[in-house]
Amino acid sequence: MSLYQWLLFFHVTGAFFLIGGIVIAGILNVAAIVKNRRPSEVAALYGLIRFAVPLIGAGLVLTLAIGLWLVHNAGYSYGETWIVAAIVLWVVASALGNIDGKYQRQTGELAQRLAVEGDGPSPELRARLRNPQALAVSYGSGLMAFAVLGLMIWKPGV
Amino acid sequence: MLALVRPDSWNLPLFLHVLGATLTFGATATVALLGFAGLRGDPDRAVWLRGLAFWVGFAVLVPAFIMMRGAALSIVDKEYPGGHHEPGWVGVGFIVTEPGALLVIVMVILAWLARSPKSRSAVAVPWLASILLVGLAVAWFAMSAKPGS
Repeated sequence: MSLYQWLLFFHVTGAFFLIGGIVIAGILNVAAIVKNRRPSEVAALYGLIRFAVPLIGAGLVLTLAIGLWLVHNAGYSYGETWIVAAIVLWVVASALGNIDGKYQRQTGELAQRLAVEGDGPSPELRARLRNPQALAVSYGSGLMAFAVLGLMIWKPGV
Repeated sequence: MLALVRPDSWNLPLFLHVLGATLTFGATATVALLGFAGLRGDPDRAVWLRGLAFWVGFAVLVPAFIMMRGAALSIVDKEYPGGHHEPGWVGVGFIVTEPGALLVIVMVILAWLARSPKSRSAVAVPWLASILLVGLAVAWFAMSAKPGS
């Protein structure tokens, strides 16, 4: 196999890790907010979300590092519209994902504490889980990753 | 280097194929996580987690798998009409997804049965999901690297 084929494989692997991790976190997050769940149930779901975090991290590194190498290897220019747009979306999605990660970690810690303190319904936890701004940041960063996938396929400007 | 020269009309099915594949990967991994978590701890909690595994399998994994496979057939029909001169890496996709479809059906049925506290099928669900993940990894290696082409 050529270097191009190996690079494409690792780049696509990064995309699978990144989007797969986003899907895992998204599904478990939706499962936590669709019903008024007890704090212990929310804590259990957020405990599973932590398995998606290294997947997303590895995906971010592989997609960018191998992607930039691929641009050089395949003979594209770093200034092409779709490449610049993809890098901008990658940076914004990463920044939003970082903000969301901190917020979700605090929500998981709150759920764990409430579970130990009687596991009763908590308006504070419910408000955090359904905070519209937090949801916008969370799902916005995920949708940007899907948008990058679209850019990789259509390559506008080529 | 096919990706560099493919016609525009192939982009939508290719996007849906890759989107379906990544959703399939994420949903399968979620079923595995919920399934393994549903094998231990408090029995009520375990049954609830196994119920979630069923719903993720039924409502996310099955549609994602259909999207992946349906879009793949559309691309193959455009690129290799009549099935002539299909390269080996295309065959790998079929080798993985045909038994994979059966695996998904069996897994979802077992996940449905596993919602019962006394069900013994609960053990099989996360392991079947793990086997499917390995198959998907083999397919994405073949689809992306296209060895032999």
